[in-house]
Amino acid sequence: MRLIHYTNPNALSIAPTAGLGGRFPRGDIEDQVDWLFGTALAGFSGLARGGQFPVDIFEDKENTYVRAELPGVNRDAIGVEIVEGSLSIQASRKEKSGEGESTVSFNRLVSIPDEVQADKVSAAYENGVLTVTLPKKEEAKPKKITVSVN
Amino acid sequence: MSLFNTIIPSLHHGTHEGNGDPHPICRPYFEIDETEGAYGVTVYMPGVAKEGLEITAEGGELRITGKRATKLPEGVTALHRESSDAAFELVLTHDNTVNTGKIEAELKDGILRVALAKVESAKPRKIAIT
Repeated sequence: MRLIHYTNPNALSIAPTAGLGGRFPRGDIEDQVDWLFGTALAGFSGLARGGQFPVDIFEDKENTYVRAELPGVNRDAIGVEIVEGSLSIQASRKEKSGEGESTVSFNRLVSIPDEVQADKVSAAYENGVLTVTLPKKEEAKPKKITVSVN
Repeated sequence: MSLFNTIIPSLHHGTHEGNGDPHPICRPYFEIDETEGAYGVTVYMPGVAKEGLEITAEGGELRITGKRATKLPEGVTALHRESSDAAFELVLTHDNTVNTGKIEAELKDGILRVALAKVESAKPRKIAIT
């Protein structure tokens, strides 16, 4: 940590700081605040460390898609279930911390529309992202009905 | 989030879409550890495939960029979003104690592990007392 430190990719100036004895790695006050808070808040900008993880929901005519960011999780450690109209996603990741190993658990309950064919749900895990495809029931798909008027 | 935007400048930069920036970027979560012979950097980049990943080491700077490869059918509409489509970018600086010829990287399930070997002079040395 002493030798490698973070540089904001968007920082316009990386001029050395005069007068502060080089305590802050960068120039203006905005960057200093950034530097102070940056590391602590890194987790907010995407990945949650344990507990909840970011979930996206998409849909098209045929399916509803639930996408979850779960980097570094073993496929065997992912559990996807449909419980009373909700989609439950559970996962755990093994992390090496020093000499020991710890397990971080994640779980999330997402409410899904009623018109899902629960028996035809499929899931795929790729590049640390889990995508669950929930096919819609026939009656929920947009349909064109022609009514003849006599 | 608007409160955070005001006090913490970093959240202005790229983490939110729709700000008119054609190439939004966000900083991934990362960890650095150190052993006697090397530094290890672990970067969390969900959705990034090998093809979208780029690592450059130049002049005391290690730059890691990753474009997300999303595999959703075309024409889907978003009902709820928590993640971002922005590409990941992480820039780390070092004082040339890293042997840039000996950088190893491994990407698995959205986690990138980079091993940066130290130059000989930066490794701890035992001095025998006679």
